[in-house]
Amino acid sequence: MSAESAVATHALTKRYRDVLAVDALDLDVRRGEIYGFLGRNGAGKTTTIRMLLGLIRPTGGDLEVLGRGVRPGASDAFAHVGYLVETATAYANLTVRENLDIQRRLTRAPRTAVGEVIELLRLGELADRRAGVLSLGNKQRLSLARALLHRPRLLILDEPTNALDPAGIVEIRELLRSRAGEQGVTVFVSSHILGEIAQLVDRVGIMHEGHLLEELDRGRLRAAEREFVDVAVSEPQRAATILAAAGFARVERIDGRLRIFDAQKRVPELARALVGAGLDLTELTPAHEDLEAHFLRLTGGVE
Amino acid sequence: MTFVHVLATEFLKLRRAKVTWLSLTALSIGPLAIALMMWIVREPGRAAKLGLLGTKANLSGLTATWPSYFSMLTLMVGMGGMLLLSFIVAYIFGREYTEGTAKNLLALPVGRHWFALAKLVVAAVWWALLVVAVLVEALVLGAALRLPDFSATLAVRGVHDALLAAAIAYLLVPVVAWIALLGRGYLPPLGFALAMLALGDVFSHTGWAPWFPWSIVPLFIGAIGQRVTTVAPGSVVVLALTFLAGTAATIAQLRWADNAQ
Repeated sequence: MSAESAVATHALTKRYRDVLAVDALDLDVRRGEIYGFLGRNGAGKTTTIRMLLGLIRPTGGDLEVLGRGVRPGASDAFAHVGYLVETATAYANLTVRENLDIQRRLTRAPRTAVGEVIELLRLGELADRRAGVLSLGNKQRLSLARALLHRPRLLILDEPTNALDPAGIVEIRELLRSRAGEQGVTVFVSSHILGEIAQLVDRVGIMHEGHLLEELDRGRLRAAEREFVDVAVSEPQRAATILAAAGFARVERIDGRLRIFDAQKRVPELARALVGAGLDLTELTPAHEDLEAHFLRLTGGVE
Repeated sequence: MTFVHVLATEFLKLRRAKVTWLSLTALSIGPLAIALMMWIVREPGRAAKLGLLGTKANLSGLTATWPSYFSMLTLMVGMGGMLLLSFIVAYIFGREYTEGTAKNLLALPVGRHWFALAKLVVAAVWWALLVVAVLVEALVLGAALRLPDFSATLAVRGVHDALLAAAIAYLLVPVVAWIALLGRGYLPPLGFALAMLALGDVFSHTGWAPWFPWSIVPLFIGAIGQRVTTVAPGSVVVLALTFLAGTAATIAQLRWADNAQ
């Protein structure tokens, strides 16, 4: 585990009786980066986040947060960590300001921190309103304010834009970007809003059934890696063999068609190879796989 | 200093909490009811005219005197206290799970044991204030009724017994707190408290009452068997062990157990 790591796990595993929720997960989130953690429901994202925060004990493996080992009940690792896990919650009988004051006292933040974070999250008009009467979106803002209040070096956020309206989503995205860009804050964020993740993160890890299937950096998120050509052709099996022989390295069969990756600049060559072998080429479509399609492909498509 | 900060937040959490007023209302009804019974016993004719429970109160063998009044007060603080305290502790510990806020406390630069201890202190202060308020109320009501046989010695003894019953009831609290953490909510600790009270009653018929924690309060205040005037040394050990074991279990549960919410 490197000193440059904000979050590092090695063979991190969590088993609930017969269910392997997280299986030998190796993660290395560098300081100052925004890391997106993608996965379907039950993929192991929240379990991983709970282990990172010491809320649940790993069955095996090691983990460090900001260079400190996380053990059950160990509090020293969390001095510079702000977090939000799943649903936004607050003491319903207390006002927004009082809820934040509790966080301020527990994190030893200065008195001015409450006012600053209220302004940052645009909670001014709601500051003296009881948390119990807030809308879901405003509760989410309150929870984000709680996470940001003590100016943490690491933010661990589980679905932070839940219940926010589109303007709120953009606002939080910009806020997280500015924290990372200007203050060097590391952001570890899980989300099911794939477009949102794609616009925010430096790197994304895709979880499925407890495994980290793939990690993509910002470049690979947008680059030719996920450009492809879909073709409808007679004898797809033979066509795949022909294309492989012609140097097309990634060919996948999807619903009776062929999907050829890294082929957008070689479309004429691709067509010649198939037609020249006597196959009937009925459709050829250059396309770009967005993160959502990539994610669905990796994790087994739409249920 | 950490503990002071945590304690301050635990008190802050009670602001505008209806439960605090509900608990005061619930306990303050006790002296009112006792005073009413005393008045009925003393004035059966007027009570009957008003349609109150004159006959039943007379049949209960009560006398409208300060000794009788204090005896009932201790009974109320002891038995009512065990139940009410369980409600209070279920609320203080269980609300973090019912309201989903437990997870917000567990990854902070604060040792989790401080939360457990601070909550137990809040329960102690809450309970102490309730008992003092109710004792003051009871003394005022007793004086207003002009009950006979008052003496300073009797008053000191009566208040002492009520406070001791309240203190013994408090020693059972950490176990209820542990159940609240284990069950993650209000209902398990309340169910547990009711079950223990029932079990305490069962033990009272077997001769094991001095050795079963939930039988010791009823035994001391005379709710079961022959009322004892002092708590037996064996019972003191049982109570101390119950308190220590409950506190240790509460801290361990918060510190070591998975807190998936």
